[in-house]
Amino acid sequence: MATAKRSDTSAIEASDGAIPYDEMLTLAGEVRSHYTGLDERIATLASEDMAERQRTLERFFLLQGITFTVYGAESSTERIIPTDLLPRIIPAEEWATIEKGLTQRLRALNMFLADIYGEQQILMDGVVPRDLVLMAPSYRREMQNLYVPHQAYANVCGSDLIRQPNGAFAVLEDNLRVPSGVSYMLANREASKRTFPGTFRASNVRAIDRYPDLLLSTLKGMAADWRPNPQVVVLTPGVYNSAYYEHAYLARLMGCPLVEGRDLVVHDNMVYMRTTTGLRRIDVIYRRVDDDFIDPLTFRRDSGLGVAGLFNAYRAGNVVICNAPGTGVADDKAVYAYVPEIIKYYLGEDAILPNIETFLCREPAQLSHVLANLDKLVVKAVGASGGYGMLIGPHASAKERSEFADALRADPANYIAQPTIQLSTAPCLIDGGIDPRHVDLRPFILSGEKITVTPGALTRVALKKGSLVVNSSQGGGSKDTWILAGETEEPQS
Amino acid sequence: MMLARVADSLYWMGRYVERAEHMCRLSDVMLNATLDRSDAATQVARIVLAAVGDNDPDKAKSPYDAARSLALDRGDGGSITTSLSRARENARQVRDQITTETWERLNLIYLRVTGPGAAKAFNDGSSAFLHDIIADLHLFRGAADATMSHGEGWRFLLLGMYLERAQLNGRLLEVFFGDVRKRPITDHFALTSLLRMSCALEPYLRRYTADVRPELILEFLMFDEDFPRSIRFSTARIEEHLSAASRYVDAAHTGPERMAGRLKARLQYADVENIKLGEAGALLTTVLDECAAIHAAIYDTFVAYSLEMRLPA
Repeated sequence: MATAKRSDTSAIEASDGAIPYDEMLTLAGEVRSHYTGLDERIATLASEDMAERQRTLERFFLLQGITFTVYGAESSTERIIPTDLLPRIIPAEEWATIEKGLTQRLRALNMFLADIYGEQQILMDGVVPRDLVLMAPSYRREMQNLYVPHQAYANVCGSDLIRQPNGAFAVLEDNLRVPSGVSYMLANREASKRTFPGTFRASNVRAIDRYPDLLLSTLKGMAADWRPNPQVVVLTPGVYNSAYYEHAYLARLMGCPLVEGRDLVVHDNMVYMRTTTGLRRIDVIYRRVDDDFIDPLTFRRDSGLGVAGLFNAYRAGNVVICNAPGTGVADDKAVYAYVPEIIKYYLGEDAILPNIETFLCREPAQLSHVLANLDKLVVKAVGASGGYGMLIGPHASAKERSEFADALRADPANYIAQPTIQLSTAPCLIDGGIDPRHVDLRPFILSGEKITVTPGALTRVALKKGSLVVNSSQGGGSKDTWILAGETEEPQS
Repeated sequence: MMLARVADSLYWMGRYVERAEHMCRLSDVMLNATLDRSDAATQVARIVLAAVGDNDPDKAKSPYDAARSLALDRGDGGSITTSLSRARENARQVRDQITTETWERLNLIYLRVTGPGAAKAFNDGSSAFLHDIIADLHLFRGAADATMSHGEGWRFLLLGMYLERAQLNGRLLEVFFGDVRKRPITDHFALTSLLRMSCALEPYLRRYTADVRPELILEFLMFDEDFPRSIRFSTARIEEHLSAASRYVDAAHTGPERMAGRLKARLQYADVENIKLGEAGALLTTVLDECAAIHAAIYDTFVAYSLEMRLPA
C-alpha cells in the first residue's frame, strides 16, 4: 500500500504542462520497486513516532554544530539547515548513467580549461565564441600558460542535476569553483543510519564515508611529483562564513590544519603557516575562498581573507591551489550552453547527460524569443549564483517581468534563459505527514590523476509547497540520498 | 606542531571554561547565603564582588540580583553566560582540532545556557541550574581527557585552565587574607563559604577534620600538594604542560617554561609552617604577578612571535 500521495500538479504549471516525475510513485500511483522497503517501514510508523524521529534528527544536527548563524540586531541565533528524514533513493542502473555522464563531462571541462588557458584551439576553431570566454568575469588572464598537474583544474566539482518529467536526468549547472554541501551529504547519511537502521541495512546502500580520504589523496596527488609527502591545508574565510562547519568538518576528517589567511605568510615565493614552533611550509591549499579573495596582490585588493603573494608562489610552482583559480569560466552560465559541443570537440562523444535547453540572450534572435516568452521562462544572470538575480517567469508578476525585460535589453549578454523545468518530487515529512516536494541532486566528483564520482549526493529540497527553488538561502533543505548497490558494486561495508 | 592561532584558541577555551565553573560556584555560594542570615549574605556578596573585581558597593546590598547577573548577564564580561559563549566561540574556531565528543559537551552547555529557557530555569531553581552547569563542565573535562590526544593542543587547553584557576583562587585568597589595610576575614560562615567557593570543603574536612581555622585553610588552598585547586597544585601543572609544550621550540624560546618552574618551586619549597596569616599578602601578590607574566610570555613565545626570528634557514 502506498503511504505517500502524488504531488498536486495544479500548484504550478510547467511551461510544457508536464506532470513532474515522482521519485517514489509511478503515474498509476504504485510504489517503484526500489522504494518498497522504505514505504513499508513508513507505513508501520505512527505520525507521532515520525515527528519524534524528526526532533531527534534536528537535535543531532544542533549538537554537532551543523548550523548557520543568523545575525540579528542584538543577538545572533543559530539555525540548522532543515533536513528531511526520508531518504531519496536512486537505483543502481540509473546511477551508472549518472556516473558515466559526470565523468565524461568533468573530463571534457578540464580539457576545455587546459585549452583556453593554453593554446585556445577550441576558440580558434570557432566551437565556442572567443569573446564569450575571454570576456567572462570568471576568466583569469593570470592563469594563462600555467602548468596544472594532470590538467586537473577542478579537483572538486559539485554538479546540479535535475530529473525531468520524462524521468531522465539532465545537468542544470556545473559548479567548478568552490562547491559546498558535501558535509551535509555525510551528516545526512549519519542521521539516516540512526533513523532507519533496519531499512538501511536491508537496502544495500553504497558507502560514502571514504569521501574525506579520497579528497585527501586527490589533493596530495596534485603535488606528489615534487614533494614526497605534501603538507595539505584547508583554507577557510573563517568562522563567520556560512559553510564554516563544512570547512572544519573536512579538515578534521582529513587530518589537515584548517587555516585562515592570517595564519599564512609568503616568503621567497614559498607559503608558510604560523605554528607554535615557527613557520612551516605548505604544499597544497584546498581553498574554500573565492578566486577574487585569495590574494590581494593579484586579485581584489581589499580582501582580508587571502594571503598577499599567494598567486606568485602558485605561479612559481611552489604551492598548488585547489581548485585552480579561473575554473569558474567553465561553469559560466553562458558557456554552459556549449558544454555538449565541448564534450564532442574533445572526446568525440555525445553528452551522456543532456543539458537543459538554454537561450543565450547575447544572440539577437534568441533575445527576442526570450522577451516574447518571459512568462514561461526562467531567466538567470550569467554571473550570479545561489538563486539570486533570477526571474522565474511563471511565478513573477507582470511588473517584475517588465522590469526584468528592461534589464535584459540593457545588457543582453549578461543573461540566459531556460524553460521552467518541473523538478521531480520526492516524499518528504511535512508537519507529521508525508507530502511530495521538488528536489534536485548534487553529486560530488573528484578529479586529480583520475576522476572519481562519489556514490552519493546531496538531495536538495524545496520545502515550500510547489516551490522549485532548492537553494538553502531561499528556504531549501536537504535529505540523504541512497545510491543502491547493483550486481557489480561493492555494497555497504 | 600546531597553528599558532589554534594554540591560542585552545588556551582561551581552557581559561573560559575554568572561569565559568568558578563563577558558578561563587554564584551558588552567594545564593545559598541569601537563605541564611541577611548580614551573612551581604558579607558573602561583598567578598564575591571583590574577588571578581566589581567595586560597586550597592550591588552587595541585593545578593540575589548580584548572583543572577553573575550567572546570566551577557553584558557582564565575567558572567557565566559570557564565559561559556566565549569558550564555545573559541571551540568553534578550532572545531577541527577538538574531538566531536569534546565539542558536543561544550556545545550542549552553551545551547542550554544561552537558550530561551535559561532565565526561567534559573528563576525556578538557581541552585540546580548552576549545579547542572558544573556537572556538565566536568563531563566536558572528562571528554577532553578521555578522547583528545594528550599532545600539544591538549596541553594548551590545560595550560589555560590551570593558569586561570591559579589566578582566580589567588584573587579569592587575596580578598580574605591579602589586604594589609584590613584584618583577615576569619568568621566561621565566611571561611566555610571560602571552602565552598574553592570546592574544597569535603577535601579540607577529610584532611583537617571539622576544625575550621583560617591558617589551616590558607595552608590547604595555597600549599597542598594533592588538592587540585590549590595554588601549588595549579602551578605544578602549569610547569608540567608548559615544559611539554616547549619541547618543540628551540632553546632560545623557553622563557615561559623557566618562569613557570620558578613559580612552582616558590610554592613547593615555601616555609609553610612559619607563614603568618597577615603575611600571606606578599606571597599572593608575587604569585598573581608571576601568573600574569607567564600569560604574556606564552603569547609572545607561541602565538605572536616576530616572523624575522622564525624564518626557515
